[in-house]
Amino acid sequence: MKLSLTRQALVLAALSLFPAMGEAIYFRGKISWRSPIPPSEMVSVDQARALGGNVIWVDARPDEEFARDHVPGALSLNEDRWNELLPQFLAAWSPGKKVVVYCSAESCDLAREAAERLRKEAQVPDVFVLEGGWEAWLKKNR
Amino acid sequence: MRETSNIESPVNAASLGVRRSAFGVWRFLWRTLDFIVAGIFVYAGALKVLDPVQFAHDIKNFQILPWPISVALAFYQPWLEIFCGVGLVFRFFYRGALCILSALIVVFTLAIIAAKVRGLDITCGCFGHASQHWSFPAHLATNVAILALLALLFKAGEQRRRTD
Repeated sequence: MKLSLTRQALVLAALSLFPAMGEAIYFRGKISWRSPIPPSEMVSVDQARALGGNVIWVDARPDEEFARDHVPGALSLNEDRWNELLPQFLAAWSPGKKVVVYCSAESCDLAREAAERLRKEAQVPDVFVLEGGWEAWLKKNR
Repeated sequence: MRETSNIESPVNAASLGVRRSAFGVWRFLWRTLDFIVAGIFVYAGALKVLDPVQFAHDIKNFQILPWPISVALAFYQPWLEIFCGVGLVFRFFYRGALCILSALIVVFTLAIIAAKVRGLDITCGCFGHASQHWSFPAHLATNVAILALLALLFKAGEQRRRTD
């Protein structure tokens, strides 16, 4: 088929759209278009508070932000001092307890990364990320 | 006179035969190169098609695009790589495929350089988990090598078009 270079490129680009759309439909439950964290791994402030005493709050922000203010009873566990802080977290955790990790806001990635490390490296189940992070907590509590 | 200069003379026929066989060898070599480049992109695309979630995170880590666009690209770009790779193998929209693949490689290279300049310690995700521990120079060298191969194929394709 003799088509100009631009037309050839456009046809290929258009053809690729179809399987991509099919794949997007197939994976719709596994990835959220709104946030990098799947809905099943996220909790709102109200849902987290409803867990009562069965929850461990984990602050994934840097030390200075944690020192300024944090969720009452939260443990600091940030990537800068991960190895140092992890034993403190593991001492507080027991099977059956839910873990809620937060960072500063919806846009930050620290909570997702910390949650993933807790699941993969520390083999801790039931780890959730707080929707909206510390900002959302402040809005609901002040 | 006419008979001695005839192209069908044994000497001329032999030299034509040598030229034809050399041409055949070159054709074979170019086709092999087509298959190698196509294989690289089909393999890279297939790895990313299998794990679009990870690839979306890899794109997001470059901190250039917002999350929804990273997701859209994670679904779309691997298929584009695969279609272009298949295009090279079957000589289907050949020049268009070369053009898209070259553009992709240029964009990847610029993104990797931008990440390095901003001090981001990230994996490019180009070959899924296989490229997770590649160093910056390794990424750069691979991309430059692939770009050189694509340029060679483009040039050979143009020559072939002219002879055909």
